[in-house]
This record gives sequence, structure tokens and C-alpha cells, in this order.
Amino acid sequence: MSGRRMRAVDGRADDRASGRPAGGRYTDGLIDNVMVVGVGGQGVIVAAAVIADTALLHGGLDVKLSETRGMSQRGGSVCSHIRIGERVLAPSISPGEVDYLLAFEAAEGLRFAVSVRRDGVAIVNTQQIVPPLASQGEFTYPFDAIERMDDGSRRVLAVDGNAIAADVGDVKVAGVVLVGALSAYLDFASETWERAIERNVPARWLEMNLAALRAGRETVAAREAAAATGRDGA
Amino acid sequence: MAAVLMLGNEALARGAWDAGVRVAAAYPGTPSTEIVTSLAAYDGVYAEWSTNEKVAYEVAFGAAMGGVRALTAMKSAGASVAADPLITSVYTGVNAGLVVCLAGDPGMASGMTEQDDRYFGRMSSMPMLEPADSQECYEYVGLAYELSESYDVPVMVRMSIQTAHQKSVVTIEGDGARPEAPERRDPHRKTEKYCMLPRFSRPMHRSLLERFERLRAYAEASPLARLEAAPGDGRSPLRDGGSARIGVVAAGAAYVSAKEALPGAAFLKLGMVHPLPIEAVRRFAAGVDRLFVVEELEPYLEEQILAAGIACEGKSWFPQWGELTPVRVGAGFYAAGLDLPRWAEDKPAEDPGVIPRPPVLCTGCPHRGMATAMKKLDFDVHGDIGCYDLTSLPPVSHMHSAFEMGASIPMDHGFWRAGGSAKGSVAVIGDSTFLHSGLTGLLNAVHQRADISVLIQDNSITAMTGGQTNPGNETTLAGAETRPVDLVAICRALGVEHIETVDPYDYEACLAALKAARAFDGPAVIVTNRPCMLFPRKVPGDGHFEVDEELCNACQQCMKLGCPSLSHAESTHRGRSKVAIAAETCTGCSLCAQLCKAGAITKAGVA
Repeated sequence: MSGRRMRAVDGRADDRASGRPAGGRYTDGLIDNVMVVGVGGQGVIVAAAVIADTALLHGGLDVKLSETRGMSQRGGSVCSHIRIGERVLAPSISPGEVDYLLAFEAAEGLRFAVSVRRDGVAIVNTQQIVPPLASQGEFTYPFDAIERMDDGSRRVLAVDGNAIAADVGDVKVAGVVLVGALSAYLDFASETWERAIERNVPARWLEMNLAALRAGRETVAAREAAAATGRDGA
Repeated sequence: MAAVLMLGNEALARGAWDAGVRVAAAYPGTPSTEIVTSLAAYDGVYAEWSTNEKVAYEVAFGAAMGGVRALTAMKSAGASVAADPLITSVYTGVNAGLVVCLAGDPGMASGMTEQDDRYFGRMSSMPMLEPADSQECYEYVGLAYELSESYDVPVMVRMSIQTAHQKSVVTIEGDGARPEAPERRDPHRKTEKYCMLPRFSRPMHRSLLERFERLRAYAEASPLARLEAAPGDGRSPLRDGGSARIGVVAAGAAYVSAKEALPGAAFLKLGMVHPLPIEAVRRFAAGVDRLFVVEELEPYLEEQILAAGIACEGKSWFPQWGELTPVRVGAGFYAAGLDLPRWAEDKPAEDPGVIPRPPVLCTGCPHRGMATAMKKLDFDVHGDIGCYDLTSLPPVSHMHSAFEMGASIPMDHGFWRAGGSAKGSVAVIGDSTFLHSGLTGLLNAVHQRADISVLIQDNSITAMTGGQTNPGNETTLAGAETRPVDLVAICRALGVEHIETVDPYDYEACLAALKAARAFDGPAVIVTNRPCMLFPRKVPGDGHFEVDEELCNACQQCMKLGCPSLSHAESTHRGRSKVAIAAETCTGCSLCAQLCKAGAITKAGVA
């Protein structure tokens, strides 16, 4: 099972070539568990809504989403669970069963890395937000969070979402860059992702968000291609 | 109409709208808030944020009595506040349908307790439906209105936070337009129905018992109790190598978790949990080798099933606290002897580099000045329910109690009667909470001549639940202009003689006001006057401050504020870190500059 997940990007190309409807991977009861994490105010909730909406717009799938409860708006840790499949029961992902972790912040990535299944994928923004208590010396912020995550138990993809977002216009769309990166792994058409963006962001920011989505997707596609070449070469 | 993703709360609102609800009233409370927020956006519904849950219940009941379908919604603690009309209204019955939405919080994501709300149904004889996902939230509300009118009782739709706060797919019936709402029912006067004098209420209780018996018959026959056969040969493997026919009785969120944890079992999925269709349970039990009852919190179903002489297993395997997630249910089944490799594995431990990231008071939060001043004076702080409770946590860590809505003033009064605090104490309450249930406590303190200090942290919004309006605002939930209440005038009318309004961004003024209130002989009130930084809209900063690193002597007085925009700079002075201000988040409240004795903090761009 894990092998098939690993080939996600290539697998999508196969699906297209064979004319099989994208999303066919769900017919055997498989569920994609996507977790989006970050710090309150980073746009985790919107990103999760886009992902869930894409699956809904794809059609014929069951989707469930649940979010951190409590006072996350005030700089706390935020976590959204999205489950996609033919039939989904629990709205939250069980421990160790995350297939794709989308971390908007490095230390939050480390916090939830333990939720990722063996050989699952963690896409981590390199941004670091030092919480007030750490900056006031109560404890030490893990500046090596991404290296700690990348201990061989999962695939870790570090993405400088803020820099890519700044390139397409505004650092505020960094979250959508990460959603774009995720989109390279899930079997939904680009147009479906774009429609979901349209439904979840204000119209005046639409073009920038679409550019961010594409930039994120291309970053991952380019890296996967390079990795595949590397593997073939070896 | 196409399938849409909806919160359980949103789906419930939509179902109520489709069913023709005309009046909805609630006080905001996680995890129930979005029900009435959503209803307010629909045409043809009057929706309000009432001053508290009891008031909301009475408004909704009044509307139902007046002949239109009505709804009220609340969190667990809200049900306790509304318990008086809640119980009475089942006696009287309704006229048009009344649906009571109750969202519980096992796991206490934001609640003060994880009370099991199902006992309200049992205590009051109010029938209780429990949806398991958003689609059921949508469907059950319509049914609840039918039952309410058929059996002349309010009907409770009870959810766990998992159901209320999940987004899942809902298929809306019809073309999306509102079905025609039922005509107003005859509201003519009925003394014997609505006047709770013993002469009328005694026969009412007998009538209630009779209505409830009919509901029991309905529950037994209703498809709401859904039988789901076990797949395959109907047997689940056991760890000892054998197998058994396993049956599970569950409802709502616990059903979803149990189904995920043990898909190989047969299920009796309950949609109505009160009255419990006990004969349906008995028939189900007869077809299995072991019957499990999976439910969050108390053994509410389990005890009724055992009392009916049906053998079952429940709380001996599943925890009586917290949310029942699939992994916790799975662990229970595993412990009970079922062979479930998915739940048997030990999960890896968290990386030791993980750090806590609790919520903190926002940069520029108007609560910060007084919190810092109270800590400086070492007053005992009796808090209430609001964002200021975050000051019980680091980095402020200065609060003695934070109990329930309205508790601050009477508890500080009682504390003072017991001898009070050596350095002084103060009751801290927000504007919305004060208007919810603080007034009576203050009135009592005045009447009893209590020598207490009360701080009303007026940020002009109900902040912690996400920025709902309250009587201190100039508009209502429905968008109508209204007259904002004058807190100072209220306190004066209650008989408070010492009232001071203070700018909470003025630290010395905060200290002085607290000292003056303590010195005053009799109840004294301080009211702060800065709005919430987040709600109703984010307050734009008033220019940021910056640190002159040459002048900063690393005394770190400013760090006591616990402001998220302050951090340790890389440079040091005598081995201690100097301070840096994040220009992009600083809102310019200036408290740090006021605390800086070295004069190192100044407004950027001001020479």
C-alpha cells in the first residue's frame, strides 16, 4: 500500500494515460488522510477548506473535515484533519495514520510528524514562528525541526512557501503554495483545485492565489521528477 | 440540489430553515455557536444573541407558544443555565414546534466541565435525538419539529463536539429554495397549559408521563434505531484464536468511532437516545454473543440496558472521560479480547524537540494592562469566563479562580466574607459575561454592603467565542441598529458609589484605579474602555514601537506583559538578553514603553 502512495505523482500520469477517471484509487476502500497544521492566523483553516472542497467538487467521494477546537485564533497551534474516500466514518485521523502532512510552520510540523504513517509524506514550510514563551526564554524553539522530522520514518519535503509566495505577489499566499505542493500527490485535476480556490478566496486575490497554487505544484513536480531521474540513474 | 460540505451546526441550521423555523435565540458558546450564526444569514428567520441561555430558551419557547417553529441552541454549561425553563417547558408542551440544540464537549476543548447532557433529557422527559454526522443533523431537525408538534413537547437534538464541529457532506433536499413554512398556529390564551401553578402543573405532569409513554412506543417502532448486520460471516476474531458475534449499541459520535474501530461488528445505531428503544436493544442482544455499549462520558445507555436485564459491556472497557475517538474505542475492544491489529500497535513517541504553543492574549489586547497591574499589586484575581482567563497560564500566570459565567463577583464577595486576601482581591469579568449573569451578583454585593472591587474588562464584544454582539453593541445579530447599554449607568443604578472608567493602555492609571477601588469602603467598580483587537474587525495598529538596543539594559520588565510581539534579541547586556519588538505585529499599545525604565522603547518614526 505504501508503495502505491509513494508513486502518487507518477501514478496520476498513469491514470491520465489509461483514461481511467482520476480518483479511481478510492474504489478499493482506500482513504486519503490529510492533516494541515500551523499557527493560528496562518491560513490553515482556508487551506483545509480548499482541499476538502476539491475532493467534493471532484464528485462521487465522501469527505470529512474536522478542526482544532479551542482558542486557536490567539496564536495557538492549529490542526485540521481531512479524510477523503468512498465512505469515510470518523472525521478525525487516528494516530499514525496521516498520509500527507501539510505543515505551515516548522515546529508545528515536528509536533504532528508523529501522526504521519511510516512512509507518509510531510510537506513542511521552512517558516519558523517562535512562540512568545520560547522567545521569552521559557523553553527552546527547535530550529532543527525539519532535520528532526527527516529521520527516515517518513518522506519530508521542505518548501520555502513564503519565498515562493513572495515571488508570485504576497507572502500571505504561502499556504496556497503548500496546497499546490499537496495537489501534486492527490488525484484531482488542476481545474478542480482551481475551482476550489475560487470558491474559498476573495475574488480580488484570486489570480495571486491561483499563481501560488501552480507554483507550489510545479515545485513538487520538478523535485519528484529530479528524484525519479536520480533513482533511475542509480 | 448538489452536495455541500457543512459543519454539523450549519447543517442543523439548514435543516431548521427547511423545516420553517421562524425564531432562533441563543447565547454564543463553543461548540454550539454556529447554529444561530448560520440561521441569522437565512431569510425569513429572526435570530438573536440573547443575554444568556435562560433568556434565549424563554424567547424561543415564547415564539413556539406564539405559534411559530422556534429553536434555541446552547453548550453544556448553557443547558445548566437554561435548566429551569427547559424542565418546565416539557410539562407545558409547546404549540408550534420547539427544538433545543445542545452541543456537548467531551474532552473539554473549551468547556469548563464535560458533563453528560443526556441526563437533561432523562431528568426532564424531553425526547432526545442524536445525529452522527452533518447529513443526520440536517435530517433530524425536520423530524424533531414533527415530533415536537405531534407529541406536544420540545425536542432536544443533542450532539457531541465531534458532530457539531465536523464538516461533512450534506445533500440538501429540493431545489435549494425554502419550502413553505408552516402557517402560524393558533396562539389563543390557554391558562391551564402555560400557567405553572400547582393546580395546573400537577395534571401536566401526568399528561407528560402519558405523552412520554407514547414516545416510547414511537421510539421502539422508529427506523431511527437502525440495525446494521455484521459483514461476512458475522463473526469477529478474538485474540485467543476463537471468534464471536459482536454487537454494538451506540449513537452519535460514539457510533462513528465504534464503527471505525470495529467494522466487523453488528450495530444497533440509535438515532433517538431518549426514550431508549429498549425492546429493540433486547432483540438485537439476542442475536449476538457479546453486546457492547459504546458511549461518551457516563454509562447512560449501559445502566438502562443493564436495568432491563440485558447483559452488556461498556465502561469496563471504554473511558468515562474525554472524547471517544476511534483509537480509544479500538483500545477498549482490544482490551476486551478482540483481535484488532490496527489498534494494538504502540504508536511512536513525540519528538522531544516539540514545544508547547498555547494561545496567548493578542498583541494589543486590552486585557493586558490590567492583568499586568493586578499581578504587580499581587491581588488575588477571581476571574470569570472570557479571554482574560488566559492570564491563568504562562507567561502571566496570575489568577486565583475562573469558574463559570457570572461567578467572579459573588465568589469574590464570599471570599471577602471569609476574610479576603492580605493584599486585596478583585473580581474580573468581561462585558458580555457581566450582562449574561454578572448583574445579579453585583446587585447582591451592593445590597449586602460587600467591600469588594470589580473590574469589568469591557472590550465591547463577546470575544472568546468569535466576536458575537451583545447589548453593549450598537447593532444586533439581525443587523438592526440598537441602543448600546451603558455599563457605568447600570452599575450606578445598582447602587455602586465608586465607579471609574480607565484606559487599559495606561498602566499607571490601571494601578491607580485598582488601588483606589481597594481603598474605597464598599463595592467599587472599574470599567476599561478599549475594544477587542480581533472582533468585530481587526483593529489596525497605531504605529509600531521599537527598541533602542543601545539604551536597552536587558532588565526585561517589558517581558512581564507576555506580549507576543516581544522577544529576546540576539544582543545581550551583562549576560541577559535584550528585547526586540516585531514591527509587523506590534499595534502600538505602548504598554512596553511605559514599563521601560531605561527609556529604550519608543514609537517608530518619532524622534
